[in-house]
Amino acid sequence: MSKKHDTPLLDELEKGPFPSFVTEMKMAAKHSDMSNDLLGHTELCYKERVTHWKHGGIVGVRGYGGGVIGRYSDIPDKFPGVAHFHTVRVNCPSGFYYTSAALKEMCDLWDQYGSGMTNVHGSTGDLVFLGTKTEHLEPFFAEISSRGWDLGGSGSALRTPSCCLGKSRCEWANIDTMAITNDITQHYQDEMHRPAFPYKFKFKIAGCPVDCIASIARADMSIIGTWKGPIRINQDEVQNYAKKMNIQAEIIDMCPTGCMAFDGKSMKIDNANCNRCMHCIAKMTKALRPGTEQGATLLLGSKAPIVTGALMSWVIVPFIKMEPPYEEFYDLIDKIWEWWDEHGKNRERIGELIERLSFPRFLKDVGLDPHPAMVKEPRRDPFFFWDESDIEK
Amino acid sequence: MEKEEVKKIIYELVEASTGKKKLKQSDILKKVSADHGIEKDEVKAALRDLVDAGTLIFTYFGGSFIEIPPK
Amino acid sequence: MSLPDRQTDIGPPHYSKFLPPVIAKNYGKWLYHEVLSAGTMVHVSESGEKVYTVRAATPRLLSTDRIREFCAIAEKHCGGHLRFTSRNNVEFMVDAESKVAPLVKELNDKKYMVGGIGPRISNVVHTQGWVHCHSAATDASGLVKAIMDDVHEYFTDKELPNKVRIAVACCVNMCGAVHCSDIALVGVHKTPPRIDDNNVKNFCEVPSTISSCPTSAISPDPAKKSVKIKLEKCMYCGNCYSVCPAMPIADAKNDGIAIVVGGKVSNLRSDPTFSKLVVPWIPNNPPRWPEVTDAVQKILKAYVAGAKKHERVGEWIDRIGWEGFFRETGFEFKYQHIDDFTFARETFRMAATFKWS
Repeated sequence: MSKKHDTPLLDELEKGPFPSFVTEMKMAAKHSDMSNDLLGHTELCYKERVTHWKHGGIVGVRGYGGGVIGRYSDIPDKFPGVAHFHTVRVNCPSGFYYTSAALKEMCDLWDQYGSGMTNVHGSTGDLVFLGTKTEHLEPFFAEISSRGWDLGGSGSALRTPSCCLGKSRCEWANIDTMAITNDITQHYQDEMHRPAFPYKFKFKIAGCPVDCIASIARADMSIIGTWKGPIRINQDEVQNYAKKMNIQAEIIDMCPTGCMAFDGKSMKIDNANCNRCMHCIAKMTKALRPGTEQGATLLLGSKAPIVTGALMSWVIVPFIKMEPPYEEFYDLIDKIWEWWDEHGKNRERIGELIERLSFPRFLKDVGLDPHPAMVKEPRRDPFFFWDESDIEK
Repeated sequence: MEKEEVKKIIYELVEASTGKKKLKQSDILKKVSADHGIEKDEVKAALRDLVDAGTLIFTYFGGSFIEIPPK
Repeated sequence: MSLPDRQTDIGPPHYSKFLPPVIAKNYGKWLYHEVLSAGTMVHVSESGEKVYTVRAATPRLLSTDRIREFCAIAEKHCGGHLRFTSRNNVEFMVDAESKVAPLVKELNDKKYMVGGIGPRISNVVHTQGWVHCHSAATDASGLVKAIMDDVHEYFTDKELPNKVRIAVACCVNMCGAVHCSDIALVGVHKTPPRIDDNNVKNFCEVPSTISSCPTSAISPDPAKKSVKIKLEKCMYCGNCYSVCPAMPIADAKNDGIAIVVGGKVSNLRSDPTFSKLVVPWIPNNPPRWPEVTDAVQKILKAYVAGAKKHERVGEWIDRIGWEGFFRETGFEFKYQHIDDFTFARETFRMAATFKWS
């Protein structure tokens, strides 16, 4: 395709060392009318300092209620190529590993049915195909699903679960994040494709408390790998670190619980007082490793600020073994979703519902016992409830 | 209850609600199950048939709903 | 040409189909890793085998031709295997040290930015912005490009006291953990939505529009079969616009960017923390948003000058106090900085201990 629009403002963003999204749009525009108009459309947004996209609408593939986000331009006459510019979310494989053969096949299909523009990846973790027309949705879906790919979640549904790369390349993984993510995804296909929840629900699975996948900030259910028992210490390696770093200043003094000591010869850890923050392990990777009794802490409730303020997930299960077939875990999830379905309002996330109805009530209703790990501190007011059974008649 | 009958009940519920209140999948399961004493799973299976056939569709506007497709 | 038969509910391909052999063989057996340079690291297995990773930045918004180029590099150097990180970097892995230098050379020759590992600025997590979003108050990709061009040395080379995670969200919906980043830019509105009564009647459900408002600013307008807004109650979140498209809130002259800092998601040393407001509004000044990049530089400079080794931005601020942060950066402290919403009470200083600024 020959150049269709002048883009003086966007051209400025091709300068400089960081890879340019404008260059990407121009590359796609070489063989896509849609991307050619996307360039002109974006240039106009830059010029007028306002978006020209409209709300989504009723688009999707037959039988599914998610995976496609409708997108339309509000100036289709000027930019017919982006009159429809729908997004297709394709469920990523756990850990974001690919082969070139698989990716190239998807690229060929996208050039045939879409704009040639993608996001690798969308914020939730989907492989996002950006910009296609309504009539191309079914054929594209037939092509990719027949090759083993499926759509991810959107709307009031389970969203595509995602994870850190876990045991595939990290020595700190306390749980098999990629296996768990794949299992959850397969277990809940219906919940992902046929929206039945009050609002969205996200799982993110992190192998350790470093939380590279940011699960605590952006997953309704954050599964974070952890351990019980002593941190494994290799004292010879501690000696090697002592030669190249100030262990007292960088490790012992920075330990948030003050549970470590180093006398110049050997390192001691008071494991009962360790809160598993990972600082020492992360800075002395050769000398220290998580303990061997491994599992996960389950935290619930995080979300972005819309509407009454951001929440981070908080502890609901201090420790759970996350091993196949994950029966205890799935039982709990089903109970949580039932409770949310029963009480939740439209657009109310699980964290907000718990805030509205109370955390103790949630625990009782889903059958979890209270534990000091669930709070930073007990309540400071004297206004608490009792059950009938607690009252002497 | 025969599946076809459940499908008819669901369709009529959605039809009656059109233009008044958008129904979520969960609203339909709860209402049909309560009104007719059928298991939610059975209602869900019937609803899925309707959606697979395109008789009803999922729509999205600040939430996912079940509606009759536009003509 | 006939289409193949569609399948449903099959889920994604199993990850095991995509793992490089050295990864598959040593799955769960990794012992330790070392950062070798800004863009390379090595993981060592119990078996003694090693995997070397080379990381490069991408703009996230990728053309199919770019992905094909990544694939060609992977085929030439990595047996056709590659992966992406959750911060939009591409990673190439090789099983021998000798294979690292040719790979890095090819990436450098092709003008890729190799880096992002260790105590540096990694790639920016961001949203769609004007490129593809209906509720964007600013662009995301352009801001990312402007900032990363400006701080690129901290990606490819120079070290910081610790990692600095930057994020950009084009509106307060904040797709993508912006609210827990070291430095985050958020597109914000300053004016209430405008009601198109006719379209409210035709396209919106009045009760759900009213209930979408977190401050109860919206009420029915029965005469017009529409809604009205109590202007003094509106805090411009745009949630009503998500539910009712007849209430557009975008305002070219008044939309802009807020900067929040000091958040983190890791549990390292201190608990995960939300980012806090430091600049309430900077006008949209595309294509390069110089006022925004200046503010980011100011924050980085103060952090580099003041933080101890291993302190994240939030930990540094925790030590010097927010009053110390405003002193060190010179940002003006305004009414907007004082919380008057959900969590306000927890943020007031109920002590006589503070530092003079």
